[in-house]
Amino acid sequence: MTSENVLRAARYPFLPEAREFISRNIDLTLESLEKTGSEAALKRAVERVENALIFKEVKVTVLDELNYVREILSFPIAVILVSMTMNEYVRRMYALGESRGAYRRMLNESDETLLYIGEKMGVEGVLDDESMIRVKIPTYLKLAYSFHAPHWKLVNRAVINGYVLMGRNEYARLVQVEINNYVYEKTLEPVPMGAAPDSFRRAVGKIVEVWSKLEAAKPSHISLRERGDTPPCIDRIIKKMENGENASHFERLVVATFMIARNRSIDEIIEFFSKQPDYKYSVTKYQVEHLAGLRGGGKKYSVPSCRTMLTNGLCYPDEYCKGIKHPLRYGEENAANKPRVS
Amino acid sequence: MVRRMLQTSLEFLKREFFKYYYENIDRLVPPEPIRNREFGFFLEKGKGMFRHKCFNSLRDFHEFILSEIPLDIYVSAANYEDPGNRDMSEKKLVNAELFFDIDVEPVNAVSDEEAAWICQKCGQYDIGLKERCPSCGSPTELVRLLSEKQLREALGETEKLIHVLIEDLGIAPDNTHVFYSGNRGYHVHINQEDFLNITGEGRREIIDYLLIQGLDEKELLNILRRGVSIENISLKGVKKRVYMRILEKAGSVEKLKASRRETVLKMLEDVVEELKVRIDPVVTIDVHRLMRMPESINSNSGMVKRRIRLEDLSFFKPLEEAIAFGDEEACLKVKIAPKFSLGGRTFGPFKDEEVELPVYAAIYIICKGLGEYAGG
Repeated sequence: MTSENVLRAARYPFLPEAREFISRNIDLTLESLEKTGSEAALKRAVERVENALIFKEVKVTVLDELNYVREILSFPIAVILVSMTMNEYVRRMYALGESRGAYRRMLNESDETLLYIGEKMGVEGVLDDESMIRVKIPTYLKLAYSFHAPHWKLVNRAVINGYVLMGRNEYARLVQVEINNYVYEKTLEPVPMGAAPDSFRRAVGKIVEVWSKLEAAKPSHISLRERGDTPPCIDRIIKKMENGENASHFERLVVATFMIARNRSIDEIIEFFSKQPDYKYSVTKYQVEHLAGLRGGGKKYSVPSCRTMLTNGLCYPDEYCKGIKHPLRYGEENAANKPRVS
Repeated sequence: MVRRMLQTSLEFLKREFFKYYYENIDRLVPPEPIRNREFGFFLEKGKGMFRHKCFNSLRDFHEFILSEIPLDIYVSAANYEDPGNRDMSEKKLVNAELFFDIDVEPVNAVSDEEAAWICQKCGQYDIGLKERCPSCGSPTELVRLLSEKQLREALGETEKLIHVLIEDLGIAPDNTHVFYSGNRGYHVHINQEDFLNITGEGRREIIDYLLIQGLDEKELLNILRRGVSIENISLKGVKKRVYMRILEKAGSVEKLKASRRETVLKMLEDVVEELKVRIDPVVTIDVHRLMRMPESINSNSGMVKRRIRLEDLSFFKPLEEAIAFGDEEACLKVKIAPKFSLGGRTFGPFKDEEVELPVYAAIYIICKGLGEYAGG
């Protein structure tokens, strides 16, 4: 491996070449990890996780890179530590932190390196004559659906001949999602607790401590607007139905599930539906009870997501819809600014 | 699903269906791999679907068809590990073909002669376009026979769909299979490897792309109002088509620039309405959907779900090319039937009469619930 490649492996320790480097040079078993002079790597691994929890980004300095053995080794150790916490929040934040850090570093890479990292992560991109990066539609759809800004929707993209065109930053964002997925999945692999050396268990204890402190300091959740607010999409259907206009089956389902979610009684809901031109008491009662999970398999139906509403042509957003993915989250404070764990 | 009919009609239908399947069984080839597909059938009139059926081989499938003579045959777009399991989640989905359905728009523009009405309340019926029963005033049921004009419109939508699938989404023509549904629309199956694993979310994005939903109008409006010329726009895909069409409608970049914001917005809305592909989103989103089996008979019409080669698409004549049965005469007691075209001939209108019709037309009338078999 050339020195340049080793440095790249240190900068992006989730790449296959980092794994290769380890398997060629280091005996990576839990017992031996402790001995391989890896106290420094363990320390750095804890730092990685703390970075992720506190700053939501794992930082890698030039000095870290030069210390490449420690750096490369610290990643799989960090994954083991996170897995040992068995804490879903820590898992997600760690994956997010690693992927965010990588995103930031990727922006400074040459096109060639950026595309190389993408390819290794399974997000193949091709640079075209106009300096745009082309990504195959199925790959794009798999990753971009986690973003909710309108410009990520396929309909708003430059699409040509099976490819979605994008600039470097957006491509790096897609690769970030895949890095996130990869790291998260790695942390799901179980670690036999008994096999873990004491130093690892102490490190896990330290991570959990950091997490508890952060949890305790979190402000309790307050909504900007009153919780009972009705989002414009549902308000529109309700108004329409109040006017006695015929609503589609799907629109009725939306309103009924919404009212159920807002704890309105079955009778209240039936009363509301009685204004419909084709109203039948028995049918309405049966259907509303079914949606509420009181009949059949006992499955309670949830309100369709914003995406489903949009697909059905029923989304009429206003300013309070910004950043929400579900009508029930309407008007929640800072929905748009929340860290997106994707 | 088959409408109510007399036993003699059903026997006549089964006899003719058997003939068709016996002679054409080799055309009934389900998508591979057969053993991973779920099959569904309507075996008898008025009964529910017989589903969760699976076959180990093409031969088993053909034997089943020839012994049961189903009225309708369906096959899953999905591949399952255990297609015969009655619990959907236990079937274990492997992947699913993309499947699109385009139906004709509801009846509006048919002439008086081409329509008939039936009053479900007092039982009256007649030729003509009446929304309320002249004797009792209740809303009537309009008889909808297949209209060449409407089917042509649906075919136009299908061509639009194929164009977007190939040009924008990069689907290879070889992986694009187009069918006339045998009744009121067209089906498009896509079995391209890299599109098989697209999740529900991804399918929604494709649907929104085709229906032009969730378009960022603000951005497009800005470009339109700035009046960027064609050579300078970096738009591609659906946005480009929208832009070009608006420009075409406005006449020139200058005229577009001079237009009021409201005017441009209205043009944008109109163009989206014009360019969107009218697929049925519910069908495409549902990976567990059963699709009508290609080359099988559609019991809503007695016609065949016919494969259409891409190069023949624009010349396809559904009411002539999807006929399943012969033209020997059969005697039919017709209650009411507006004028209709089938197999290159025109029939009717009929009211309360016994008529001799070619078998294909007789079966069509029976399947539409407008007449009963009265001997051959």
